Amino acid sequence: MSEEKKFRYGFFLGCVAPNRYPMIETSIRAVFDHLGAEILELEGASCCPAPGVFRAFHIPTWLVIAARNLTIAEELGVDVITGCNGCYGTLRDAWYELQHEPEMKKMVNEHLAKVGRKFKGSIEPKHVVQALYLDMGIDYLKGFIKHKFKDLKVAVHYGCHIVKPSDKRPWDGEYECPTFLDEIVEITGAKSIDYKDKFMCCGAGGAVRTAVKEVSADFSREKLTNIRDAGADIIIDCCPFCHLQLDLGQMEANNIYKDMIGEPFKIPVIYLTQLLGLSFGIDPNLLGLIKNHDLKNVSPFIPVEPFLAKVKEELT
Amino acid sequence: MTEVKKEIKVSGKEKPKIGVYVCHCGINIAGVIDVVKLKDYALSLPDVVLAREYKFMCSDNGQSMIKQDIEAGLINRVIVAACSPRMHEPTFRLTCKEAGLNQFLFEQANIREHATWVNMYDPEGAYEIAKDHVKMAVAKARKLLPLEVQKVQVEPACLVIGAGIAGMNSALDLAQEGYKVYLVERTPTIGGHMAQLDKTFPTMDCSACIITPRMVDVAREKNIELLTYSEVVDVSGYVGNFEVTIKKKPHYVDQEKCTACGACAEKCPVTVGNEFDLGMATRKAIYIPFPQAVPGQYTIDMDKCIKCGICARLDVCEPEAIKYDDKPEFLKVKVGTIIVATGWDLYDPTELKQYGYGRYPNVITGLQMERLLSSFGPVLGKPVRPSDSKAPHSIAFLQCVGSRNFREGGNQYCSRVCCMYATKQARQYKEKHPDADVYIFYMDVRAFGKGYEEFYESASENFGINYIRGRIAEVSQGKNNNIIIRAEDTLLQEPLELEVEMFILSCGLEAKADADNISSLLSIQRSADGFFMEAHPKLRPVDTLTDGIFVAGVAQGPKDIPDTVAQAKGAASSASALMAKGEVEIEPYYSVVIDHLCSGCRSCQSLCPFGAIAFDEFRRVAVVNPAMCKGCGTCVSACPSGAMVQNHFANFQLNSIINVAIKESSVENGGK
Repeated sequence: MSEEKKFRYGFFLGCVAPNRYPMIETSIRAVFDHLGAEILELEGASCCPAPGVFRAFHIPTWLVIAARNLTIAEELGVDVITGCNGCYGTLRDAWYELQHEPEMKKMVNEHLAKVGRKFKGSIEPKHVVQALYLDMGIDYLKGFIKHKFKDLKVAVHYGCHIVKPSDKRPWDGEYECPTFLDEIVEITGAKSIDYKDKFMCCGAGGAVRTAVKEVSADFSREKLTNIRDAGADIIIDCCPFCHLQLDLGQMEANNIYKDMIGEPFKIPVIYLTQLLGLSFGIDPNLLGLIKNHDLKNVSPFIPVEPFLAKVKEELT
Repeated sequence: MTEVKKEIKVSGKEKPKIGVYVCHCGINIAGVIDVVKLKDYALSLPDVVLAREYKFMCSDNGQSMIKQDIEAGLINRVIVAACSPRMHEPTFRLTCKEAGLNQFLFEQANIREHATWVNMYDPEGAYEIAKDHVKMAVAKARKLLPLEVQKVQVEPACLVIGAGIAGMNSALDLAQEGYKVYLVERTPTIGGHMAQLDKTFPTMDCSACIITPRMVDVAREKNIELLTYSEVVDVSGYVGNFEVTIKKKPHYVDQEKCTACGACAEKCPVTVGNEFDLGMATRKAIYIPFPQAVPGQYTIDMDKCIKCGICARLDVCEPEAIKYDDKPEFLKVKVGTIIVATGWDLYDPTELKQYGYGRYPNVITGLQMERLLSSFGPVLGKPVRPSDSKAPHSIAFLQCVGSRNFREGGNQYCSRVCCMYATKQARQYKEKHPDADVYIFYMDVRAFGKGYEEFYESASENFGINYIRGRIAEVSQGKNNNIIIRAEDTLLQEPLELEVEMFILSCGLEAKADADNISSLLSIQRSADGFFMEAHPKLRPVDTLTDGIFVAGVAQGPKDIPDTVAQAKGAASSASALMAKGEVEIEPYYSVVIDHLCSGCRSCQSLCPFGAIAFDEFRRVAVVNPAMCKGCGTCVSACPSGAMVQNHFANFQLNSIINVAIKESSVENGGK
């Protein structure tokens, strides 16, 4: 009989990671496996659904679909993790509201009854970062560090749903200028540098990317300019949608705002678990850091090779 | 004054003769229920010999009715069915006493708050509830026993904890009235926060010029025993008779021999940040906090001292005052009253990371600004910014830092002084640098005190200080360590970005971080905001709920200097009223041990929250100190042998009430 693992989670994939940045999913799986955590599949999970799109139009629909996703993990009896700020926003906010609004919970369960489900509130939805930082803890993670990066300057990007609304988040008051993500990054030896407007939006959220591409790209341009001015080697984020905007967005900003930015942007964008995995000594292939450049129009759009070259010495 | 009649003998064994008086309370009661019917109902109850109704029983006429009936020998128990006993129980007890009836043979039925007020739209229901209250009062009145009021002597001495402007004023007032005062201050000097201030609003007079002479007065006053660098470590006893243990921390400098010449500090090789200047200036390991400190003798900070021995050299300290082997001393004193004037801590803005305190050098607190403006501060009253020690050309203040914050981690209350201190500091800076740009970001300007609105108006009109209504969202650091502010001007309804050379956070006031220690030492309560709780917000603002203990100054809640002094004088006056009388009456609601039932298990002793129960080792029974017992009843319910009886609330009395309430309830299902 196999020993029951201490950390067990149902993995909620979301849409952007599996469809556009699969290296995020694979790196999360690799790192959690390395950390001795068991990942269970949430069979039949749907779109979270996206907070900017569904909640903005019809809250009951948003709640029912979110609650349905949570019931899948309730059946397995495990907490949910997601590597996406948007999914986290939906699942956590819906989970919170269903526990504080009995009327809403009643409505949701009437709908769920039609598909033979019931929301109980027995499990907690968590962000991957939350599982790493609060469940496992910095000291636990430190024990797995194999390679320490010496001279790596990192611009950390939090995104928005991971910290706000503050009353529905687990960060214990750390919501204005949080440090939990920087703390995880720095156990790898990398230096998290301060940059102007660090907590500014990436530009994608709130359906801005879909509706007004230029405005969205202008946000990215400003954020990327600040990151470049601060001398960052790479960007570390924890959200596939931010990841898309900061990666593909560099190409867009280079195109739309080429007269404003001088040199085109080319800052590698790395997901948190890719960086952690490298530091743990996990094969870069398993972390989705090796790309076949014969493939066209496939992410990542900004090559990550300069990053791998920079840390090559520490990895050997 | 009414003459008190010779007391009518009531043993409790004769047949009760109860008089019930139903009060109309204007229309408060009579407007809802039929008081005449209620009076007739009362007459139908056992042992009720007469019943009357009247417009206002608490009036002179109403009270006279009761007195006449007592004096005529018609009744020996009195029930007034009226308002809450909290309102008028003392009134009617005095009535009984004046008529010669033991005051504890009175019972009040609260048919206003409990019946007519809460059920004013249901007169029938209200009437039924009023009937139940009267019936229960009669049931208890039949079992009432006369009790004697306990009197205890009051020691004519007061302990004042904290020697800021509040504690000093209380101490001086009491000392001048002739009472012995023990003034305990934990730091090496008296003066408190006010000594740190440069000028006071709105009159702009110099804080030091006001407080230093008072500090000297305190030191000179023969009735004040000044105990600086000391802390209260234990308090026992009760009103009039508190036993206090005070720990005098070792100065490591003989305070008698030290001449305060300062040669030791000059030679001391250890330099550390000076707490008085909030770390913006230095002091030595052997130090006085500031030049005008009282007392002026030196203290060695043993945490910082490297024991090099230089200060102890004869050519340094001629009077041989240095005492490295100094030990703490413990002093026991007996006082009748205690005044708590422990002051406040400044809200620490570090956790509000969006304002950059602790991250950017040119972000400082209002109290730091005060030290920068002070003529005896680290820069002699010529404020400079920390990053380059140059006078900033532009400064901005942010109000309500840590105050009026309903999110987690913040204080919800208004700190009451920040609007005015920022206005004062802004004006002072403008006086020194007329060309500087000065901004104050505010939520509302609260200029409530005497002369405050005029002061605020003048700051903006005559001194050109820019008041911008809007919270600052966040600040960042730009070139030259300048601070870039992002805010919304909510009057113009537009976002703004502003670069200033120094940024001052007008932090609010908080309860002392260790207020819990004082609250458990003295058994006094704290309100939700953390400050010590007054007994009544309107009528007993300087009393605590523990008899004989008073509170003064910001320890009770944020207030400015005039209000602090007013409260300090109020606390002194209340304490002296208690001491002037020489004795206090204690309600006889204490518990009594029935010796032959007590098994000596001592359960009651460990549970008593007031330490009122002792154990008689010889007789092996519990003994209650009536003066310390507050009549909470904990011991009564804990006693496994039923040996504890609480006067006036004895089981046989309470059972009689419960019996009529349950068995013969006129209201089905406990009321409508």
